[in-house]
Amino acid sequence: MKDKLFRDILPRVTKPIRYVGAELNAIRKNWSQSQVKMALAFPDVYEIGMAHIGSKILYGLVNEESPHLVERVFTPWPDMEQVMREEGVQLYSLESFTPLERFDVIGFSLQYELSITNVLNMLDLAGIPLLASHRREGHPLIIGGGPVAFNPEPFADFFDALLIGEGEELLLEFLSCLHDNRERGRQERLTRTAALEGVYVPSGYRVDYKPDGRLADMKPVSTAYPAMVRKRLVADLDTAYYPAQPIVPYMEIVHDRAVLEVMRGCQRACRFCHAGTVYRPVRERSVAVLKEQADAQLKSTGYDEISLASLSTLDYSGVSELVRDLVRTYGERGIGVSLPSLRVDAFSIELANEVRKVRKTTLTLAPEAGTQRLRDVINKNVTDEDLFKAVEAAFSSGWNSVKLYFMLGLPTETEADLDGVLALLARVKAIGQQHSRRLVEIRASLACFVPKAHTPFQWSPQNTISQLEEKRRYLTRRKIKNIKLSFHNSRTSMLEGVMARGDRRLNQVILRAWQKGCKFDGWTEHFNYDRWMEAFRECDMDPEFYVYRQRDYDELLPWDFIDTGVYKAYLSQEDQLADAALTTADCRQAGCLDCGICPDFGVSLDVKEGKADATAG
Amino acid sequence: MRLRAEYAVGPDHRFLANLDMMHVMERALRRADVPYRLSEGFNPHIRISMGTVLPVGIWGKQEFFDLELAAMDLDTFMKRMNRVLPPGIEVKACRSLGTGAPALMNSINAAEYAFRVGRSPAEVEPLLAEIMRLEEIIVPSRGKKKDVNKDLRPGLFALKVEDQGDGAVIRALVSVNEPLNIRFDEMLDLLTGFGISRDTILDFWREGHFIKRGERLLSPLLTP
Repeated sequence: MKDKLFRDILPRVTKPIRYVGAELNAIRKNWSQSQVKMALAFPDVYEIGMAHIGSKILYGLVNEESPHLVERVFTPWPDMEQVMREEGVQLYSLESFTPLERFDVIGFSLQYELSITNVLNMLDLAGIPLLASHRREGHPLIIGGGPVAFNPEPFADFFDALLIGEGEELLLEFLSCLHDNRERGRQERLTRTAALEGVYVPSGYRVDYKPDGRLADMKPVSTAYPAMVRKRLVADLDTAYYPAQPIVPYMEIVHDRAVLEVMRGCQRACRFCHAGTVYRPVRERSVAVLKEQADAQLKSTGYDEISLASLSTLDYSGVSELVRDLVRTYGERGIGVSLPSLRVDAFSIELANEVRKVRKTTLTLAPEAGTQRLRDVINKNVTDEDLFKAVEAAFSSGWNSVKLYFMLGLPTETEADLDGVLALLARVKAIGQQHSRRLVEIRASLACFVPKAHTPFQWSPQNTISQLEEKRRYLTRRKIKNIKLSFHNSRTSMLEGVMARGDRRLNQVILRAWQKGCKFDGWTEHFNYDRWMEAFRECDMDPEFYVYRQRDYDELLPWDFIDTGVYKAYLSQEDQLADAALTTADCRQAGCLDCGICPDFGVSLDVKEGKADATAG
Repeated sequence: MRLRAEYAVGPDHRFLANLDMMHVMERALRRADVPYRLSEGFNPHIRISMGTVLPVGIWGKQEFFDLELAAMDLDTFMKRMNRVLPPGIEVKACRSLGTGAPALMNSINAAEYAFRVGRSPAEVEPLLAEIMRLEEIIVPSRGKKKDVNKDLRPGLFALKVEDQGDGAVIRALVSVNEPLNIRFDEMLDLLTGFGISRDTILDFWREGHFIKRGERLLSPLLTP
């Protein structure tokens, strides 16, 4: 296999280094001495997948701390796919060049709705039937997990099981359960795993629809399957596994650096945010543990940069202490610290200045909306004053370029909110000119808002493609000189919205779209909207049903059986507050908001370094 | 001090691009705790200069880089680097350089490429002789100067075949860098164009680099 690859296949493709493995710190475990053999599959190219922290954690965890084995596989770029098909080469794992069909389990990381066609393409390249119902005894079990799995229904037919929530504990339990029941038949093994909290076996449920297309009922077919599937979570990050020796890729990947996960979850409760609900509650890692992890990772990788990752790193209670310590310890050796995103306030800029002593980073702020009213609607607790102070602090300390993130199509958005975006940009530019003799560089990125399952906006209609296009034209016509506006593709967002709140009937559409050649749908150069719409028509399905209608609070939603720990009543109350443009405070300061997560899961907010300085803003 | 290192890149690493190889070395220097020098400015980087660039797809037995660092024992340098480099990449030798020594790129002017073929030397020999009898070998330039033709013949110093029992190894000594750079893929196409078909070429690598002075081939490691 390897000889054929090296001689006949790889010399014919771009970036062959994607397909050879053997990186520093890659783990090649003994095949015959391992219990369950799992391929960890990422449905995008190597340089994207290798940046994913969750995959790094699961790879190290299973290989280092369990009797099972994990090897990696990524989606081949279309040129590689073509050569593989021509030469009859099956999709293989990077560690041992083993064809995927020889593994016991293939686990897909589902980070983005539109990567589902890549999942299908990878299964096809592996010679594995795409539909779970077509798989037989000798086929690997196909499982999935990750944020997208919180609404698993659009993909239910392709997976034998989905693992809901954080995988650290669940995956090991799942693999061991398979090993313990290895003498049993395929369906019996799956049924056994369904008894584990967090495991969803789609074939164990029956779904019925009303004549108008809405969900009528979803029920387990037997008592072996739970009526509600409850997400799993890690209680204490300090004791949770984190890789000390992550793989160091040869090729340049996105986020090519050491990464510390300083905290999981976010307590800001922005109403549009999917991660903000499904990763509740906030759990922090202590500074002492992080310092050890930084040291171990830098020693084992040789990276020149260390990034502090989380949903909102500036809210981490130990962020000042940690940043200053890392800069002091590693700065002299040319090793820099990076903050992935900044909070919109002056404190953030102050800290970013510490970081800049070693390496320049781009200043990126996310006000999300142009007016105070709309920011209150989405509960983005940022004021104009915060923003202008942050920008002023940045320009006066020498930054010359600012990037601002906004969303278009948020609930209740009007023309005044679009004018607000423009006014805000003009003001930022003016502040910049006061402090800089050079021309300041201001860029605004405008994403299309996509309502997501398990958020307060899960009932809301998404803006139509034509509404979004109209808004884009409105803004471009009034474009301010020397401010660059960039817009997300409204068609991609529409399809993303369909998947995000879709039901089981979408499986046939996805299958059809893949058959028509759809893949790499997250990549502009490959996304083909018309082909997708043909697939919907051929399946007699209406995509607009999933995105453009207002749902009632009492409608049964396809993802209601997934228990994230957050009450549906809390979500609807938040939606009503949004309608009135009333904000909800951060539960770290304001006290418990009764969202449900902590009492239900027997956990609590885990703030390691005290509330004090980081959140004082 | 300034240090010149000779390293080998094994067949498993043949698909690394030049930037990848630079990152391999930089990360190894950090893991090995080598007292490398940094450049000034907001974006400090290690003062390493990759003197030879291995094309994607081939491996090399004798590549070179130069490094600036605080004083360090050469043996210690090699030991520490080889402990942390990925298996298959190895520092073979090193020496310290005078501050005025010319950069590698400016002194290396010859390289040897090797091709293992699944044919007998007797079959290959006449084909090579035919190439060497040519007066000129005009090919379109593939580098920066597109749409220009270049003559490879003056840069083709020697072309011979060696018996290896189960097959043969063709060795081509060619001119590299200035004034005439013969690329690896040009050499490969030349051979296939003269009847050594691609499927009989089992492997290829770069054997080494030289500083060619007249007929003498000097090692870049020993010649400052």
